[in-house]
Amino acid sequence: MAGPLALALVLGLASLSFLMRATGSLLPNLPSAITERTSGLAPALLAALVAIQLTGSNGLLHLDVKVPAVIVAAVLAALRAPFIVCVIAGAIVAAGLRAVFHL
Amino acid sequence: MVGQRSVREILLAAAPIAIAVFVFGVSFGVLAVAAHLPAWSVVLMSVLVFAGSAQFAAIGVIAAGGSVLTAIFAGGLLNLRFVATGIAVTQSLPGGRLLRSLLAQLSIDESYALSARAGSPGRPDGKTLLVTGALLYVVWVIGTSLGALLGPVLGDPKRLGLDAAFPAGFVALLWPMLSGRHAVRCAVGGVAASLLLAPFTPPGIPLAGAAVVGLWLAR
Repeated sequence: MAGPLALALVLGLASLSFLMRATGSLLPNLPSAITERTSGLAPALLAALVAIQLTGSNGLLHLDVKVPAVIVAAVLAALRAPFIVCVIAGAIVAAGLRAVFHL
Repeated sequence: MVGQRSVREILLAAAPIAIAVFVFGVSFGVLAVAAHLPAWSVVLMSVLVFAGSAQFAAIGVIAAGGSVLTAIFAGGLLNLRFVATGIAVTQSLPGGRLLRSLLAQLSIDESYALSARAGSPGRPDGKTLLVTGALLYVVWVIGTSLGALLGPVLGDPKRLGLDAAFPAGFVALLWPMLSGRHAVRCAVGGVAASLLLAPFTPPGIPLAGAAVVGLWLAR
């Protein structure tokens, strides 16, 4: 990725993050009805990110080595394995299947 | 809990979490460089954003071929939960609004969790938040820098399965959040919305749809 584009990504994300963390101090009287709903965003977005990563360029679910990788990571996460173990296990499953089946 | 804890006690209690954040930082650095971000921008992102899951989401979008705007959008929305924690922590922080909004930047999931345990979820312990947050910030930036340096040494990202590391990582970040009924409902809704929209809409819209469903199903 080109430098200016990377800088735009960093500064854009940084300013959004700054504003979100500062909101509580700058506008302490936000209605709780709004703030309570923000708790639903993280699970919905992370789940959607998993799903999107498993779709091909046509937007349809694409069955490849990422699917078993995600399943293994999910099982490990359910067993309370640390984050890094889930990530490395997912990568090993994908790399291993690719190497064995020449995908 | 028990009165005022010393800085040393707070640091000792946070040590295991600091190790986990360090390892997360290293893996983030490796994956970000593998997604073709310049190493300096990876380190700068950790310095300025300091939010593991948001940074991971943004890089994951880029790695999957998404645009910068989609990446900012995905990462930014993931950080919306800091609006809620920000309201809780500001009551426990010293100074006026400006200083408090700066100090609140030290709140991440881990520092908030430890300070809520030392105080209460609605009124977290300010000292714990600041000491833990500062420790985790330093560890996060050092870990990311190390990962960004290590990344290019590792070789072809796809042969190493690093493209699968993103969905694997998202699952690992998601799982601990699925404690309540609402969270499960939001996750299922997010998957459904994104998969329904993905074939018909440009990248970014499926995530926006998932965000709307998440907000809708949260209560």
